[in-house]
Amino acid sequence: MSNTLHTRRKFLRTSMLGAAASWTLPVFLEKTFFALDALAADAMTQATSGRDDTILVVLQLAGGNDGLNSVVPFVDDAYHRVRPKLALPPDKILKLDSEIGLNPRLTGLKSLYDSGQLAIVQGVGYPNPNRSHFRSAEIWQTASDADRVKNEGWLGRYFDNCCRGAEPTVGVAISEQSPQAFSAKIPTGVTFSHPEQFRWKASMGADGKPLSEEEAFYRQLIGGAEEKPSLAADGNSISSLPGKFHNDATTEDFLRRTALDAQLSSDKILAIARKYKSNVPYPQTPLGASLNLIGRMIAGGLATRVYYASQGGFDTHAGQIGSHDRLMAVVNEAIAAFVADLKQQGNFERVLLMTFSEFGRRVAENANNGTDHGTAAPMFLLGGRVKPGLFGKQPSLTDLDNGDLKFNIDFRSVYASVLDNWLGAPSQLVLGRKFSTLPIV
Amino acid sequence: MLNPLPVERWDDRAAAHLLNRAAFGATPEEIAVTKAKGLAGAVLDLVEPRVSALPFDPPDWAHPRDLRSLRQEARMAKQNGDTTKIREVRKTEADEILDLRRWWMARMATTAAPLLEKMTLFWHGHFATSVEKVKDGYWMWLQNETIRRHALANFAALTKEMSRDPAMMIYLDLPQSRREHPNENWARELMELFTVDIGNYTEQDVRESARAFTGYRLDLVTQRFWFAPNQYDAGPKTFLGRTGNFNGDDIIHFLTKQPACAQFLAKKLCRFFFEEEPSPSLINAVAERLRAHDLEIKPVLREIFSSAEFYSDRVMRAQIKSPTQFIIQSCKLLSCDLPGPRVAQNAMRQMGQILFAPPNVKGWDGGKSWISTSTLLFRNNFANYLINGDAILPPAMKRQGADVGFRGAARAAFVDEIRRNPIDVNRLVSADVRNNAQRLIANLSKRVLQSDPPSDDMAAFTNFLAARKDDSSDATVRGLLHLMMSTPLYQLT
Repeated sequence: MSNTLHTRRKFLRTSMLGAAASWTLPVFLEKTFFALDALAADAMTQATSGRDDTILVVLQLAGGNDGLNSVVPFVDDAYHRVRPKLALPPDKILKLDSEIGLNPRLTGLKSLYDSGQLAIVQGVGYPNPNRSHFRSAEIWQTASDADRVKNEGWLGRYFDNCCRGAEPTVGVAISEQSPQAFSAKIPTGVTFSHPEQFRWKASMGADGKPLSEEEAFYRQLIGGAEEKPSLAADGNSISSLPGKFHNDATTEDFLRRTALDAQLSSDKILAIARKYKSNVPYPQTPLGASLNLIGRMIAGGLATRVYYASQGGFDTHAGQIGSHDRLMAVVNEAIAAFVADLKQQGNFERVLLMTFSEFGRRVAENANNGTDHGTAAPMFLLGGRVKPGLFGKQPSLTDLDNGDLKFNIDFRSVYASVLDNWLGAPSQLVLGRKFSTLPIV
Repeated sequence: MLNPLPVERWDDRAAAHLLNRAAFGATPEEIAVTKAKGLAGAVLDLVEPRVSALPFDPPDWAHPRDLRSLRQEARMAKQNGDTTKIREVRKTEADEILDLRRWWMARMATTAAPLLEKMTLFWHGHFATSVEKVKDGYWMWLQNETIRRHALANFAALTKEMSRDPAMMIYLDLPQSRREHPNENWARELMELFTVDIGNYTEQDVRESARAFTGYRLDLVTQRFWFAPNQYDAGPKTFLGRTGNFNGDDIIHFLTKQPACAQFLAKKLCRFFFEEEPSPSLINAVAERLRAHDLEIKPVLREIFSSAEFYSDRVMRAQIKSPTQFIIQSCKLLSCDLPGPRVAQNAMRQMGQILFAPPNVKGWDGGKSWISTSTLLFRNNFANYLINGDAILPPAMKRQGADVGFRGAARAAFVDEIRRNPIDVNRLVSADVRNNAQRLIANLSKRVLQSDPPSDDMAAFTNFLAARKDDSSDATVRGLLHLMMSTPLYQLT
């Protein structure tokens, strides 16, 4: 401990002397240094202790979730008229008020609504909607206008602008591939679907076991040899200081430091994954597994502000009744378990879960008992400190734009609300301009 | 201007650098051959490959089909509740694009005209088009071939070809452009991303030029471009200050004559061939050569590859390998086969570069954006898989295709493809080299890192061999190779 403190003091002193860039520091430590600098300059910088900051969990419903059969305008004649086969029977609807109710499978969300922990934003979309999955998902992920292409994701811009002092685990995506929302000028955030996957693996010996020597020398290679895996439970940013002298800040240094970042993050994630198991039973679905993993990372105090998970299969062009109901059940059960887990941990107050989908679906059903690509749809936001209720208004089912709903709330208003009022990040800086916010958090 | 490289500076390191950037890397033996050709000879062989090296059979499915009937049939069947046809169409689509990726990577790895493939990759990133929207393997292949045909030739001609390229047209909504409602997507990106960059045209120019590209149509039966005179707006347009009855080719002609076009292209070429943040003077020098050669690419590349700037210390071994380069070069260095198509496709996805599916019309950013904690660990582990084969994978994955990037595609073919033998180290090092730790490190460093390792890395390699008690088993040699391929230096080319 005293050794670490000593190293830390030495680091800070060296940094003050302006030599920080000449050390082979993990990128996040260098970023920490800049963050201290930025703090001094009164810039907006986010802390990530992993212990007491607010956390955003983004849940993507990929494929275009049918908003009208998720949050149902069950008394609207038009709903029953244009969906003779797909309209859900009013007596089964979980009623939120006299006009709007939830899909019968969303029982967990209904209880959250009743206990004042669920906000539903209705009719969310954007101007000149695009009906291609690929493009519309890109618009949601990058928070761009429909006619503008942006490379960085909206969360990536949050990392770039607001998290320069943070560890790479500031964003964690439970996925095979980093979501576009994470793409940033300075790549930040880690992506894995199993913790064991986010790990450097040694070669195999003749005996079929990994070469035990190799990992030690890999750590030596990337400058992390002196580094003992730091205590996972302690999500502190400056917990230890590896590093050795190096000449100047070249691309090779950048790579060496990223490798060290990866090693330290990997050690922490693995340690947490091994140490923390949930007492709450999660459903045996991929989404259940993803939220379970996120629950364990939160319990372990990983220094993370944004988690990302997704559930696919929402592109219900045919035979929608069975498939959409099953998806609703999958989402409902996973969220219910996650909420129970967070409550048991005492972390529900710190977490906000937000769903989104690239678009809703066409108002009228098609000839295959399904629905085609549409536009506006509702978003769910839930958590211990959410301002509950229905926000925005249900778009008219008769005043349509080419058979599709007209949106009334821009999705970037929801992002702005989350950024400004939940993450405490300046939304204008992240989104590129000012969007009005909603009183949802 | 670019300064010629003094002859005495042409050495192994320079030859290796040329083959890294203008090709996809090479073995020590190939580097020696290139070095022996001399600078001028080596560059000439790259820009003027022997014609006999060119033929490369197209994939057997790459021919036009009557898409209109196929799609109509599938739609009709679907309306009657039969979704098998539509599933077949989608499966064909997925199979063909998988095979197209395999085909191109195999071509990159084995071609005798590697610069042609490197430039085709460059243009694929420049005229970025994604199968995610185009949804047809033949059209993606056709674009790839069109690009290849013009890759080393004239930029204005290539741009004109792209305006008539079916995949590009679909990607940027050109077939939907009508006289009454010109679609501005293509016109805008043509200026912003393909020729002159933002700031060198007005919104008025976008609207006017969109009118010039009306009438461009696709025939779904022959899968070919055609021009519909009745959809074409033949009226006068005012573009970049000129007024006339301009057509699409006129617009491209005006744009490519702008000094800003050579400047924009120069910057992209510098980022691709020199460094991530090229200096303004380097960009100016290349732009000047592009203008001097009227946007002919081959002579400019020849000057670049012969220049002292190209072989400067700040350029050599300072570029982060693209995922494509990483896979092709790794397999070359290890003298092993490319991974199976599904494995390769998954790996590319995890590393952030799926051929024929760039993230958007801007293409790949490249440089440092290739590297995150996740992609870097993946690169190290993927190198491990190439070296050690499927032995490094947990048994569960081999059963169902789970873990290190192989999850989510748990098809039998995929599980089958994952199987891989460790590399044969005897093909890389002889017995007498293996039995001497110093020689082993020197030999493999030269192959993998193309130089002696930095002293810290050297210490790690030496200590590793010492900890293995200097045994010279296959497992130890593979372990050393994997350590070398896990160095930061290995990510650079």
